[in-house]
Formats: sequence, C-alpha cells, structure tokens
Amino acid sequence: MTENKKICENTLMVSVEHVGLVRHDREGKETTILTDISFNARQGEITAIVGPSGGGKSSLIRLINRLEDPTTGRIILDQEDIMRLDPLLLRQRIAMVLQKPFMFEGTVLDNLRRPFLLRNEPLPADGSPEVRRVLELVSLSPDILGREARTLSLGEQQRVNLGRALITGPQVLLLDEPTSALDRPTGDRLALTIRDICELQGVSVILVTHDLRLAGKTADYLVYLEGGRIRETGHPDGLLNNPNSVELRRFLADPGENEGEHHA
Amino acid sequence: MHNQGVINLTLMNISFAYGLILLASALACLLRVGESRQMLGASVRMGLQLLAVGYLLDAVFSINSPLLVVFVLVVMAGFSLQVMGSRVRRKMPGFYRVMGSSIFIGCGAVTFLFCSLVVGYAPWYDPRYLIPLAGMIIGNSMNGASLAAERLASEIAERREEIETTICLGGTARQSSETAVRNAFRAALIPTINTMAAMGIVALPGMMTGQILSGTVPAVAVRYQIAIMCAITGAVAITAYLILLQGYRNYFTVAHQLRERQN
Repeated sequence: MTENKKICENTLMVSVEHVGLVRHDREGKETTILTDISFNARQGEITAIVGPSGGGKSSLIRLINRLEDPTTGRIILDQEDIMRLDPLLLRQRIAMVLQKPFMFEGTVLDNLRRPFLLRNEPLPADGSPEVRRVLELVSLSPDILGREARTLSLGEQQRVNLGRALITGPQVLLLDEPTSALDRPTGDRLALTIRDICELQGVSVILVTHDLRLAGKTADYLVYLEGGRIRETGHPDGLLNNPNSVELRRFLADPGENEGEHHA
Repeated sequence: MHNQGVINLTLMNISFAYGLILLASALACLLRVGESRQMLGASVRMGLQLLAVGYLLDAVFSINSPLLVVFVLVVMAGFSLQVMGSRVRRKMPGFYRVMGSSIFIGCGAVTFLFCSLVVGYAPWYDPRYLIPLAGMIIGNSMNGASLAAERLASEIAERREEIETTICLGGTARQSSETAVRNAFRAALIPTINTMAAMGIVALPGMMTGQILSGTVPAVAVRYQIAIMCAITGAVAITAYLILLQGYRNYFTVAHQLRERQN
C-alpha cells in the first residue's frame, strides 16, 4: 500500500511507449535490437534497466536523449514527444553519463565548466554556488577543482562525470553502467551518491546495469530486459526475490554466465 | 643571355640514361636484393607515359583551343579523384561528392586568381601556362585532400567517446568534432609547410630547376617558385578546409547524432 502511495505522489517524467529499434549495417542487413519496449520513469525515482550484456540496455537509454532514434514507437518527456523538441535543448533537460568517464583536457573545474562553454553561457567561478552544490552532491572535496582531470582515479573521474552532467540542473539523468569500471566498494559508495542525487534534486534517474546488487540497492522500479524485450517489471524487492519469468530466474541464478552470450 | 635555347635530348641520349637503370637493375640482380624486375618495369612504364603526355601536350599546344585546355584540366582533376579514391582507405560518407567539389572549388579559384592576377598572361587559356600551373596546384591539393579525409575518418573513429560526451553535455556536431577537424587540417598542411620551410636550403624545387635548365635566369625562376608555392599553399588549405567543413557533417545527422561506425 505504501509503495502505491509513493507512485501516486511522483509525477510521470519519461514515458517510453512501444519503442522498437532496428539497425542496418553497411550491406543493408537488418538487426532487431529492441522490440515493443514500454515503461515509465517518475520524478525523484530511480528506474533500473537490468539484464545481460548484449540485451539492448545501452541502446535503449541512448534513445531517451536522442543519441539515436527509435525505429518505431515514441518517447514522452513531461507530456511532450521528444522528437518534437530541439535535440540540443532536449539534451539540456535529459543529461547522460556514459559508461567510461571521458575527461576533457584540463582541470576538474574546466570539466565542470564544459557544459556552460558549449552553450555559450557565462562560466561559473570555482567558489560559485553551482560548483559548490555539485561537488557536495557527488561527495568531492573542493580541493580537487585545480587537479588535472585525467590524473584522477576512475572512481573520482566517474564522480566528476556525474557532477558535470548535473551542474546545469537536468530533469532526467541517464546512467549507462555507472559502476562497471569501478571496484566493488567504490561502486557501492557511488550507488549511495546516486540515491542522494535522486532524492535531493528530485531528478528522475534511469540507470542501466547488469549489476543486480546495484539495482537492488538503489532502484525504486526495475525493468528486466533480455534479447531486446522486456521480460518483467516491478519493484526490486518483489522481482529479485520472487521472479516470474524464466529469463530472470536464469539470470538471477547465474548473472555472470549470462553476460555477453545470452540465448534468445 | 636570356634563353640560349635548350640542348635537345635525342633518343640516343635517353638510351644512355636508361643504361643507368640497366646497370642498377643488373647490380640488384647480382647482389640478390630483389626489385630488379620492378625497377625495369616501372622505368619502361614511366618512359611510355611521359612520351605519350609529351605528344599530347604538343598537340594541345598547337591546337590552342580553350575547350581542349579545359578538357585536359577536367581529366587531370578526374584522375586526381580516382587516385584519392584508391589511396584513402576509410572513406567518409559521400566521399566522391565531398572530394570532387572541394578540389573543383579550391583549385579552380586559386588557379584562376593565380593565372589572372599573379602571372597575368593572355589569353587566359594559354596551355603553356595554364596546364603546368594548374597541374602543380591540383597535384599538391590532391595530397593535402587525401591526408585531410583520411585523418578526419580516423580522428572521428578514435574520438567517439569524446564526441558523444560533448553531445550528451548539450554540444553541437560542430563543437563535438572540433578537435578532430583541427587535427585533420593540421595533418593536411604539414607537408606543404615543411616543404616551404626547407625550400632552397634542403632542396631546389623541380619547377625552378626546370626553368633554369631551359634557360630562364635564376632571379626570374626564383620569383615563379615563390609565387607557385604561395598558390599551392593556398589551394591545399582551401581544399582541405572545404573537405573538412563538408566532411564532418556527413558523420552526423541533423539532430546532432553521431552516425554508426562506417567501417
């Protein structure tokens, strides 16, 4: 009952409706990546898309900020079809953090200023409220601002990456395997940070991962994707303890083996 | 003193020159280092090609018709396009359209300005000036163009993460490929810049030595060399810039999405 109440409180932010994706290679051969995908992501909640590698998870979130476009179906952001929005403005509202943190040459501050630079907006100073707020959000000390971004540890780089995506105040945050490059304790700490970001900023987080621990720990809602189709959805507690589909049961039994070589 | 005439090379003289090739080839054979047959084959091919071009140019010079001269230039440009097509391994989407239009505009504009403003001969189509000058401009631009296209393709393939990160942060296609374009432009211009820097000290350029051999006083030959180097640099820069300006767009959609890997 309490869970239902929570869903009613939070407004719908992103709605993926019957989305399909077919890719063509150079010879014109078709490969179906995604088939009939529908789910919702709400404000202030974390939606985790879980499943084995090669199942279409990363392709799916790339559609939400229009790094690619779906072949069929549509995606709604706050009651507007994303295809009707200017893609540059859309990407200001829907930030995305890619799997491998890419640091631009220069200091951490230079990296945090990058989104402002790209939009021809005035650059924030190192003591400015935006910079301070974002550093606090991703648990980095202000001393880090002057360091060369590429010399940081992977864990720190991923935090800068998150901060850089959040500094301009997006409504939605897309995370593609945010912890996969990190060791377990670092990943667990980052998971807590993601939880905080979602709650403190009220953003809608859509997270892709093959890490069930991360999904179970952080997510409010879980989408299980395999072979380009949604096999099961629900709250993580129920889903992970009591799976209905054969696919999820198999994945839960041996998430390692499923990785990279799934059988449709 | 000016133009005492050139010593003509008879077939006999040329066969002595070929004797040097035979000697080199025989040595290579004797020392078993290989390449002797290739050396012979290439030298025969070179001889035949140049003799044919010589007769062709003789004919073009004596007919002296603007249409024919323009036709020769178009064939030269077409041939350069074919050479670029075979040399550049990773071709950008719309390769021939981009390369063709860039060579046409870049070389065409520079050749026109150079012939009319710098050399200022008449009539404008005089093949004795137009064909060799355009040939040098096209040939050098072709090298610059291949380097620009090849480098742009590899930069975009290598920088996918950087490009998509920039796009995710709200950047445009142009902003995200800025570094790739800058590096490709530099790669296209470096050989020309190096040649200019070394000119006269490390090597005496072919056109200048050719003019001196055919009786032009060095002071005049040097002025031609300076002028043609400026024209070549301008043509290489304009052609490369046009290729990059059109080329980077072909890697993106109108929604600033990086297209799928091409090869």
